[in-house]
Amino acid sequence: MAQFSLYEEEYHPSPWQRTWREFTSSHIAVLGLFVLAIFLVFALFAPLIAPYDPLQQNIDSLLLPPSWETNGSISHLFGTDALGRDVFSRIIYGCRVTFGSSILLVMIAMGVGVTIGTVAGMMSGVRSSIMNHLLDALMAIPTLLIAIIIVAILGTGLVNSMWAITLALIPQFIHYTRSFVRSEMKKEYILASKLDGASAWQLFRHSILPNMIEMLVVQGSLALSIAVIDVSALGFLNLGAQPPLPELGAILADGLDVAYLAPWNVGLPGLSIFLMVLAINLVGDGLRSALRKRVSH
Amino acid sequence: MRILLRFSILFILTLLVLVVLSFALIYLFPGDVLNNLTGISAQSEAHRDMLVEKHRLDEAYFFQFTHYVSELFSGNWGQSFVSGLPLKEEIGRALPATIELAFYAMFIAVVIGIPVGCYAGLKSYTPVDYSINSLSMVGYSFPVFWLALLFILMFSLELNIAPLSGRISLLFDIPHRTGFILIDILLAKDIDTSLAMRDAFRHLLLPTLAISVISTASMIRMVRRSVIDVLNRPYITAARSRGLSRWQIFSRHILRNALLPVLPLMAIQITTLITNAMIVETLFSWPGIGNWLIQAIYQRDFPALRVGMLAVASLVITLTITIDLFNRLIDPSRDKYERGTI
Amino acid sequence: MPILDIKNLTLEIETAGERVKALDKVSLTINSGEIRALVGESGSGKSLIVSAISGALPQKFHLTADRMSWKGKNLLSMPTEERRQLMRREIAVVFQNPGTALDPSATLGEQLMESIPSELVEGKWFWQRKQSRRKSAISTVHKVGIKHHRHYLNAYPHQIPTDISQKFMLAMALISQPQLLIADDPTRGMETTTKTQVLKLLTRLNQTKSLSILFISHDLLAISSMCHSMTVLYCGQTVESGRMKMLRKRPLHPYTKALLDSAPSFQKDLLPKSLLPTLDGTIPSLKHVPIGCRLGPRCPRAQRDCVITPAVRRIHDHTYSCHFPLHMEKL
Repeated sequence: MAQFSLYEEEYHPSPWQRTWREFTSSHIAVLGLFVLAIFLVFALFAPLIAPYDPLQQNIDSLLLPPSWETNGSISHLFGTDALGRDVFSRIIYGCRVTFGSSILLVMIAMGVGVTIGTVAGMMSGVRSSIMNHLLDALMAIPTLLIAIIIVAILGTGLVNSMWAITLALIPQFIHYTRSFVRSEMKKEYILASKLDGASAWQLFRHSILPNMIEMLVVQGSLALSIAVIDVSALGFLNLGAQPPLPELGAILADGLDVAYLAPWNVGLPGLSIFLMVLAINLVGDGLRSALRKRVSH
Repeated sequence: MRILLRFSILFILTLLVLVVLSFALIYLFPGDVLNNLTGISAQSEAHRDMLVEKHRLDEAYFFQFTHYVSELFSGNWGQSFVSGLPLKEEIGRALPATIELAFYAMFIAVVIGIPVGCYAGLKSYTPVDYSINSLSMVGYSFPVFWLALLFILMFSLELNIAPLSGRISLLFDIPHRTGFILIDILLAKDIDTSLAMRDAFRHLLLPTLAISVISTASMIRMVRRSVIDVLNRPYITAARSRGLSRWQIFSRHILRNALLPVLPLMAIQITTLITNAMIVETLFSWPGIGNWLIQAIYQRDFPALRVGMLAVASLVITLTITIDLFNRLIDPSRDKYERGTI
Repeated sequence: MPILDIKNLTLEIETAGERVKALDKVSLTINSGEIRALVGESGSGKSLIVSAISGALPQKFHLTADRMSWKGKNLLSMPTEERRQLMRREIAVVFQNPGTALDPSATLGEQLMESIPSELVEGKWFWQRKQSRRKSAISTVHKVGIKHHRHYLNAYPHQIPTDISQKFMLAMALISQPQLLIADDPTRGMETTTKTQVLKLLTRLNQTKSLSILFISHDLLAISSMCHSMTVLYCGQTVESGRMKMLRKRPLHPYTKALLDSAPSFQKDLLPKSLLPTLDGTIPSLKHVPIGCRLGPRCPRAQRDCVITPAVRRIHDHTYSCHFPLHMEKL
């Protein structure tokens, strides 16, 4: 009889490590993560990176083309707009405003939505079912409509548009959280914990929440991409961020008048919105595939 | 049928909530209530009293509410500040324009998106699938206003293929019958139908294209994911072991099971579609409800805002509930919370 | 004349860069009109054999075999279309979990009727054919013991109980009038009455229609009452194979003996409170497969020679692969 184990030390990665491994095996997802990290750096360190003040108007250099055109100069990397403001700095600050406010409002929406959804899911009854059907129906109202109403009541401005988008995102979180919690509550491991004497809070904290994190991450990334598009759309329609606050959609709207003469004014801010959303979608998609593959392997 | 009853109750309840909200808006808007309602600032006490009595602002809220509802049902939706026209007529012109745009985009999304998505799902993890997946990911990430702008810059201004604004060239005078321009052209009598149709198509081209790129990309991704999920299920292996041909397996088993979870998501698709349509309208000066509402908000036209919001919201809710009902009726597997993902 | 002849089938999986042999030189033959049992613990690769025969192996698996033929036709080099026709007409498979093998969005009747190959349907016009299909479906459903055919044929899979659905799966397999029925643990988790019904049905079909059956199971009692011959599989290797009577009387491989001993009803003279005989340990996972004879670490008769895979030896039609078989000290 052997006294020692003939088998090698086995390395069992934790679920998070496995997810990360699956995630990094897709190069495109890692690229998306990289781009997202760049935007995050822009958002956090905008004052340090931007060469000029985004609000500073420079009458001498109006509508300078970007540095890769023949007329442009390297001092204004992306050129200037109709009021002489440096487009590059405006875009960096705009990334900060758009990305930052989107992240903030997704976190608020997630917090509120998950709380309400969990409470609704752990209780059952006729009332909660009516509430839920109502919320489901209200979930269908377009974000723009809610934004218009809120702007009409409270006035324009970035904060008000953020409220609007938060209100539009909350029902989604409630819906997914509630259905998840309800289906988990029917499972036997919850019953086992209940029979052990766990209270509702303990059930939530130790049994349901760890399983919910994956779903939340996926929903959060979806919500983030919706939030970025909506924040910039509202800024574009002048219902959100007001000038001179640099927000990518508002910068795009400013450049609309001179779009034909100076296409970089609309091309570049739009490109940054596009890249931001694309990066978020790539990362979200990569996460979702990684989570799926982790289960099947 | 109990399901019908439940859904009807839900429908009425939701509409009620919306109407209450729409009614309450007039009190929530900043400024004097009377001013918001009529647009007239009272000249004197007497004038003010007269206006108050005319619009019943001195009665209890409940009566005002019932008055409001009865006005809505009788068709008197008030008048817009800006144009002075009755709101019913304005909305009646604007809403069909948006619906038309959204409908065509949805049509393209379904007709192109579902087959391409099925194809990508069946040939999953092959180079064809990778390219379709990447393209749809890119298409899905475009901000719709930027895409529309790029289309305008490229096609309208540079290449001059499609016109920039409006629904039809000003040379044509199409009488307003249904509000849907293509139908109206067919119904109109003494114009050159084919020329008018061609012109209307050219005007429709860019806005529809901009919206449909995003919707089609979204549809492709949903259908592809659903098909991949179904392909991994045990009953497909069992069907293969019974020796059914590939076409049989696809058309009878895969198609039905893949499309059923996608239906609930179509409802959310529709709301995104309408939002995108409303945004695109501003760029193309398309006389739809989105453009109208945004103009109303710039000009603080409150009666218009509240009735317009009610109109759009009820339209969307009706569509969503109908799709939900349809889904519940035709889906035999009764998995209520099983929805597709992207 | 064996209708299914598999010799030295090896199935390799790529996991984390290295190739593991999930099935190592498995040999199996089924003669016409014979019920053969395939016995083994869970994880020994029984379902893999079924997938290999039906051609439903996922892409990651690599299949090699000296011989894998159906009625003389080589299965490995057969074009896909012919293989599919084979699966449609001549081989039928019944899976383990009946609920999941049915399409949830179609009624049972529809699924049954689409499994009928068109050659067996009479009638020229499509309404005649539809009627003939329906008649054939009803008669098959009656044959397996489902009485209220009208109710069940119009029901959806999630509405019927498990035992009816397993009988229904049998009906679906039988409706194409196959010559070989592969039953992958069909009576798992069934109550005894239903189990006996299903087993009686299978025996009757074998006797009346000379339907060959490959019966994969753990249930030694059912197997010993019904099957003509048995193949014992351990961790991807065939350890013994032969006629049922011979194996029961004189099992040559230690594993077969342990299996037969572990079913209490085989022992006649058990003392009260005596320990039931078992084999220590569990079946090894694919990552840590022992070299040579895979029973090595667990076998009570293992010696140093067991690190070399034993060759297959046969006495009449009883094959075994062991270096130190039981009852063989004299030879």
